[in-house]
Amino acid sequence: MKTVLAIAKREILSFFVSPIAYVVLTAWLLWSGISFYALAQFYASNPSHGSTDTPISIFFGGTTLFFIPLLFFVPALTMRLIAEEKRSGTIEPLMTAPVTEVAVVFGKYLASLVFWIALWFPTLMYVWLTSRYGSVDMGAVAASYVGIFGIGIYYMAIGVLMSAVAKNQIVAAMLTFMMLGLLFVFGIFSQIMVDSDYEELFTYMSVWGHMATFSRGVIDTRPIIFDVSIAAIALFFAVRVMSQRNKGAA
Amino acid sequence: MIRVENLGKRYGERAAVRNLSFSVAKGEVIGFLGPNGAGKSTTLRMITGFITPTTGTISVDGIDALEHPVEARRRIGYMPEAVPLYPEMRVNEYLRYRAELKAVPRAQMKKSIDAALEKAKVTDVQTRIIGQLSKGYKQRVGLADALVADPKILILDEPTAGLDPNQIREVRDLIRALAGEKTVLLSTHILPEVEAACGRVLILHQGKLVAEGPTDQIRKTLHGSASTILVMSGRGVRAAFEDAVRGVEGVRRVLDAIDMEAGIVRLRLETEPNAEVGARVFSAVAKAGLALHELRSDAVSLEDVFAELTTADAAASDAPPASPTPPATTDTSEVAS
Repeated sequence: MKTVLAIAKREILSFFVSPIAYVVLTAWLLWSGISFYALAQFYASNPSHGSTDTPISIFFGGTTLFFIPLLFFVPALTMRLIAEEKRSGTIEPLMTAPVTEVAVVFGKYLASLVFWIALWFPTLMYVWLTSRYGSVDMGAVAASYVGIFGIGIYYMAIGVLMSAVAKNQIVAAMLTFMMLGLLFVFGIFSQIMVDSDYEELFTYMSVWGHMATFSRGVIDTRPIIFDVSIAAIALFFAVRVMSQRNKGAA
Repeated sequence: MIRVENLGKRYGERAAVRNLSFSVAKGEVIGFLGPNGAGKSTTLRMITGFITPTTGTISVDGIDALEHPVEARRRIGYMPEAVPLYPEMRVNEYLRYRAELKAVPRAQMKKSIDAALEKAKVTDVQTRIIGQLSKGYKQRVGLADALVADPKILILDEPTAGLDPNQIREVRDLIRALAGEKTVLLSTHILPEVEAACGRVLILHQGKLVAEGPTDQIRKTLHGSASTILVMSGRGVRAAFEDAVRGVEGVRRVLDAIDMEAGIVRLRLETEPNAEVGARVFSAVAKAGLALHELRSDAVSLEDVFAELTTADAAASDAPPASPTPPATTDTSEVAS
């Protein structure tokens, strides 16, 4: 456990001294800021919209487009984790220290969850802003953040796995992007194949489908179970990949 | 302290290490010698658990390193060949991280880091960013890392690569100072390194152990001959010299004669090892009335031994490494004694 924390701590330190951290965080802030501004504008000019939606609930769960940038930002956050150790060779001192593959994978994963939280932390400011000028359903906001954290659990684990598989950051980023993109597209199927037998399955896999539920203040355990299951599978394979390293072919 | 038996590693068809067996006693300083690609790094990486051997067993301080890799690694301080480091970290941050990974107790953390900084002589750069350090400093940061948890065993892969002569001397002094207290296994392709720091040598070539023994013994007994260098002048001096020393005890033959400038000839004379032929050769030369400018014995360097062993071996074992158990053990034990 101590080694997990040591690895996570080092990873976080290295991340926050790297320019990529600030590029990603700034770009995300810009994107979410624009989205929020647009939503706030819309509701300000259409006060009698009539529905139960609020800028905050739409912000978290109303639009598919809002999640598409995450397909780029997540790989940027996770690509270095293990792939960079392999490229630079620091994997050698790391794996010859008295640490297990499980500790390394979990240390990296823990760090990635911290990056995820750092990504979303500034969005609390939108909640604060809206609460100053109107009423905010704090329950729904809390539920939304639970949902967001669930997505982090899921996306970051995929990123860790791809970073373990790939030999360098670029490949890791591409693989993560492809994998998340694929899973994201499955979610879109739920809206296309409306009356098909698989609609329920695709809905279950849909990230913003999950968020639509959470943003209304409903904490559904099924999406959380889905997120945790995907994460468990991804991390299991990441550990396997790490232990297979250098066993067989050159 | 370290016991390796029948260790082998193959990458597909290519065998990087074949049937390697050796052991290192507590407090010994052992040098792994071999040209690049001989399998030194592969062997060290197998002992430290970075790569998994195809065959064989490794025991570290009585622990089966393949069954209990984490326990085995706890006893080892390892410095990899290229000394990979995180360029964005500061030296003291890095050592703190490494000490945490190696489970140094929190109470001893500062003391351990300071001691490692001191021993590796990097105290003055401890707050600098690793990426901005010179190669020599980076190398010593790697050494500090190997030392930080005060391990029983040190495994250093090419510890002086990239250092300047002063730094090389410092590192050798450090290794010598650690002898007795720690078991050290180091690899190098530079012969003086082994001669300077190690009590025992293992010579590796094409993944096989070709010779093993105490450093001075390997220098003396492995090589079947010694040589003496003479600088003489005169017309047809080589033939005259050969006549003069014929029958002198301990002298074998003239290896070569190189014409220097102005009739000066530099001859190399092959002699019996430890024959102390100098005085006898001198009196024979004097009796023949030849002009002698210089006479000195040419100590057999490990370089000669090495060249002889590795080139001879290359010729003998040209067969492809297809057989899973090459008969490597026989030739090694003979030369070792």
